[in-house]
Amino acid sequence: MTIAVKIDKVSKIYPLGKTEVKALTDVSMQITTGEFAAIAGPSGCGKSTMLNLIGCMDTPSAGEVFIDDQPISKLSDRQLTSLRLEKLGFIFQSFNLIPVLTVAQNVEFPLLIQGKHSPKERTGLVDELLEEVGLTAQRNQRSNELSGGQRQRVAIARALVSAPRIVLADEPTANLDSTTGERIIDLMKRVNQTRQTTFIFSTHDPQVMKHASRIIRLKDGRLADA
Amino acid sequence: MKINQTYKLILKVAARNLWLFRLRTFIIGSLLGFGAFLAVLGLSLLRDVETSMRASITGSVVGDIQIHSSQAKDDLAVFGGGFMGRADIGTIPDLAAVRDVVMKVQNVDAMIPMGLDMVFLGRGNELDDTLEALRNALKSNDQIIVKDRVDQLKFQLSQLKSEIEQQRKLTTQTDELDEQWAAIAQAEAPDFLDTLTTVDESKLQFLDTKIAPISGEKTPVYLNYVGTDITLFQQKFPKFTVVEGEMIPNGNRGILISRKFREDFLKVMAARIFDRLNKRLTKGGMTISGDPENKRLAADLARQHAQVMAQLDRQEATELSQRLSEYGLEPENKDAELIDKLTSQLKSFLQVDDDKFTERYKLFYEEIAPRIKLYEISPGETITLRSYTKSGYIKSLPLKVYGVYTFTGLEDSDLAGAMNILDLVSFRELFGQMSEASKKELDDMRAAAGIKELDTANLEESLFGVNAAPVESTNTTAAVGAAPTIEVKPVIDETFDLRENDSGLALNAAIILKDPRKLRRTIKDLEKTFKQNNMDLKVVDWQTAAGIAGQFVVFVRMALIFSLIVIFIVALVIINNSIVVGTLNRTREIGTMRAIGAQKSFVVGLFLAETGLTGLLGSIFGSIVALMILFWLSIKGIPAANDVVSFLFSGPRLYPKMRWDIGITAPIVVTIIAVVASIYAARHAAQIQPAEAMQEKE
Repeated sequence: MTIAVKIDKVSKIYPLGKTEVKALTDVSMQITTGEFAAIAGPSGCGKSTMLNLIGCMDTPSAGEVFIDDQPISKLSDRQLTSLRLEKLGFIFQSFNLIPVLTVAQNVEFPLLIQGKHSPKERTGLVDELLEEVGLTAQRNQRSNELSGGQRQRVAIARALVSAPRIVLADEPTANLDSTTGERIIDLMKRVNQTRQTTFIFSTHDPQVMKHASRIIRLKDGRLADA
Repeated sequence: MKINQTYKLILKVAARNLWLFRLRTFIIGSLLGFGAFLAVLGLSLLRDVETSMRASITGSVVGDIQIHSSQAKDDLAVFGGGFMGRADIGTIPDLAAVRDVVMKVQNVDAMIPMGLDMVFLGRGNELDDTLEALRNALKSNDQIIVKDRVDQLKFQLSQLKSEIEQQRKLTTQTDELDEQWAAIAQAEAPDFLDTLTTVDESKLQFLDTKIAPISGEKTPVYLNYVGTDITLFQQKFPKFTVVEGEMIPNGNRGILISRKFREDFLKVMAARIFDRLNKRLTKGGMTISGDPENKRLAADLARQHAQVMAQLDRQEATELSQRLSEYGLEPENKDAELIDKLTSQLKSFLQVDDDKFTERYKLFYEEIAPRIKLYEISPGETITLRSYTKSGYIKSLPLKVYGVYTFTGLEDSDLAGAMNILDLVSFRELFGQMSEASKKELDDMRAAAGIKELDTANLEESLFGVNAAPVESTNTTAAVGAAPTIEVKPVIDETFDLRENDSGLALNAAIILKDPRKLRRTIKDLEKTFKQNNMDLKVVDWQTAAGIAGQFVVFVRMALIFSLIVIFIVALVIINNSIVVGTLNRTREIGTMRAIGAQKSFVVGLFLAETGLTGLLGSIFGSIVALMILFWLSIKGIPAANDVVSFLFSGPRLYPKMRWDIGITAPIVVTIIAVVASIYAARHAAQIQPAEAMQEKE
């Protein structure tokens, strides 16, 4: 078993005016490849900070975060961006599709930025994923013409298209009704199993948590005892 | 391949965003489009005006380059600048040496020596003209003409008498009028004019000194002129055309009067007012009743009857009275004296309104103009020019008028028409350079008047004697300090040696280039040559030399560029604002792109592409509209609104060119400016953190 994410004595301090807010204090943990891990906890417990650090959108104030064994605290913005592009996929609470693009174009977006695939390869990858998430028929629709569940499926396809090692999902079902949410989680789980993609998602929905292979609980910026 | 793909993606997203925010795109695009439109139209027209103005200036008097002394106190301004008096532009004492040097410079086609100056034109009144004609008739001893002239004189005297009677009614100071009355009575006495059959100096002197002044002196006219090598001038200034009379024969002294100057200053006032009104009514589309200036002109016209009367002899007056009666202009009193009768007819003739004007204007030129001396000066006559020379003398120079000239295409231009042309030798006389003959004459006069040449060093001694008390030392020169003004009538020949054109004094010189496009280089070459040869000469381009007129285009360009800058600043502020505001609305979108793996440069590129596309679309549209307008104008032409504009247009209409270079460059420049100016805002947008994608809306 390889380690997908390793968090080593990480603290994160945000300045707030003249004082400081300790978002994370001395957190250490590992997530192995293929896990379907949930990060849970009440608001302000440090969930978002944790996801930001794992998502290479922020760097720790102390300690180190390893993504695929690579330490990130010394990386530049450009290097972090490349890391996100190559190794990570993102699913957001509000889906965050690019409104002016079609479903297929949204899914293709990361591939276009990567720029390492031929148009034919790209179409193949996009079609494959659209089929996987069941949106082949909506291929050329604008994303704002879709329902919430459909949008989130597009987002999942987009997150997976570049074949990332890790997919991060921030409250992926919070904006969906429970039935749709359930289906989305099922879809994520299926992908997790078929592709061995590591999923790390934040949630406070017990229904969702029950699907997790592991629940990481945070409280006041520290790991709570599992 | 990666780069290409990213660009395509950026353009695709940018284009779709522009479409999504259509209104904003439209507003910014229109603004940039208007900027491009103004730039294309303005810069094209400016270049057209510059080209045509250059043709006006270089083709008339100025040439491509002017040279004059570096010792000049004033700047050379061929078309005005020095409003009162003349500009001191120094002198070029030895033309020959300068010519030798100038003609060796590459690209110089010709050097035309010039002396720009200003003189008084001596003007007699109608009586002076009649007396002069009478004197000539007496000299030639042609009794029939003498009789005719005497008749005319008598007719004018009777007019003068009726004028004096009118004046008597208006004043209580009648002493002077009595004196004039007595003088006229003496001239009308039976043994005076009727017995004048030979050159009787005592009678002629009486008429010259006692009678002629009664008619009053006309206000003197300033006459601007350029003294030059006229034959060379004609060769090198193709716009120059003699329209009446003849060209001055090579080697003869003489003057060519500018047609415009003659029309404006030397034409009978009634005709001038008729012309001005006609132009304003026909070209300007105005009415007399609807315009205060036209009303004033019409009122002035009504007062011109006396001047017309004074130009007629009895025969012409009788005919004219008859003709006017035939046209329905009956005198108030049919049995009145001819003078009273015609005066009343002329008075009502010159009362014009909108209904009558066209008919009266025609009638004036058909019936009155041929009977009077329409112009004060006509080819063949000799005029007297008076100048205040630098040596302090008033110099008067009689000069034969050979012809009337104009510059083709600039017929109506005040600027081009202000200059009269005379030969270099006459210029030198008027400027105050002494010819040998003049020097001798002056010496003789001095000797006769008992004036000695005084040595400045011994001035006090000479003036006040050896033991004179010391007085404050002055720089008074002999001539000014000691002599009363002497009017010198030079005796110089009608003809001169052609070598005079190539050597001696001039004030400035026009230089014509073989290739006018190499103006700057030739100016540099000339400056270098003058420096090498220790010549104290200044080289100025046509634009500077022309004075205010030449600077016009510079002013307009500055105004245009200023307004373009204002438009672009406004556009750029709006663009920046809209990007900054846009980023607030698009924070999540940008954050998402960044999170997914788009580099900052991608975001910057996206925003620059949005402005770039807007700019390109807007400015291409603006440029096309401007080019279409230019195309339309190039067929239709822009009419010159007034005489100054016609000088700038080098003719009555300007036909602009469609300038593709400007039409293509402007949109590119506008787009680049817009893109460059939005870099700041775009970088600002790129600062959005990828984590923003996670933020939920409140």
